[in-house]
Amino acid sequence: MTRSIIKISSQDHKVAKLASIAIALSLIEFFLPSPIPGVKPGIANIIILFTIIKFGFSTALWVSLIRVFVVSIIVGTFLGPTFFLSLTGSIFSLLFLFLFKGINGKYFSVISLSLIAAFSHIIGQFLIVRFWIIPHDGIFYLLPVFLISALIFGLVNGIITSTLLNNK
Amino acid sequence: MKKLMKIILQFIKKIKIGDLLTIFIFIVLTGYLASILWNFPQGEYLKIQMGKQVIGSFSLNQNVIKIIEGPIGKTEVIIDSGKVRISKSPCTKKYCLHQGWINKLNQTIVCVPNQISISIIGARTDYDSLNY
Repeated sequence: MTRSIIKISSQDHKVAKLASIAIALSLIEFFLPSPIPGVKPGIANIIILFTIIKFGFSTALWVSLIRVFVVSIIVGTFLGPTFFLSLTGSIFSLLFLFLFKGINGKYFSVISLSLIAAFSHIIGQFLIVRFWIIPHDGIFYLLPVFLISALIFGLVNGIITSTLLNNK
Repeated sequence: MKKLMKIILQFIKKIKIGDLLTIFIFIVLTGYLASILWNFPQGEYLKIQMGKQVIGSFSLNQNVIKIIEGPIGKTEVIIDSGKVRISKSPCTKKYCLHQGWINKLNQTIVCVPNQISISIIGARTDYDSLNY
């Protein structure tokens, strides 16, 4: 038998630490009751935004995808519709964060990024729901409810991330 | 209380000028989408049925009281320029009365004991149910 040795870099440790925090936050959120089904604060996004500013996009990509897979395995929705919703939302968020991460600077702060992430998350999920899970236009009646929640939670998460970044 | 205000102020100070622009854009986007998506179509006619028999279609742009003779008595329907309700019914539970005014396309009031059903229809009829 040969022993394979995987070299673990400090980058891996960083990703693991950040991902574990994101997973913990997601799990806390999972057990919190929500007044409207599907409306969630998305507090794990704080970690993703923090990572994207502090350590760059590729680290954030790893953290985000690890979070989606591990949380779905723990909660038991792996490969179910909820998992794909979560995955699509994350991929859309990351895509738009990648496109807009440059605006963070003198005039725009991480709050803008947070709002962009929250909105693209909702839009991505609605697209997959419309074309795969519930192929009927009726679901778009729900869209404004989710957009309003994205606005509120995007703002709150953005302010929290901004506070976190300033404290460090 | 003063401390709380101070904390909130501290949070608000973190918002930069560009963020206000972003917030504004997203509020406008949300409002615009809400105005498009929550614009339910209005109907044009009221269709009155007794059992399977269609009694008739009446324009909503009028103020009239229709009295329909059902199996257990008279049901009174009020059309009041765009909105409709059942005002008198011989049934015991009066669910049809409690439903109040209807004015949107495909809304329906049914009085089961008297076999009367009224629904708002337009030029084009939509599906009454979809199954997936």
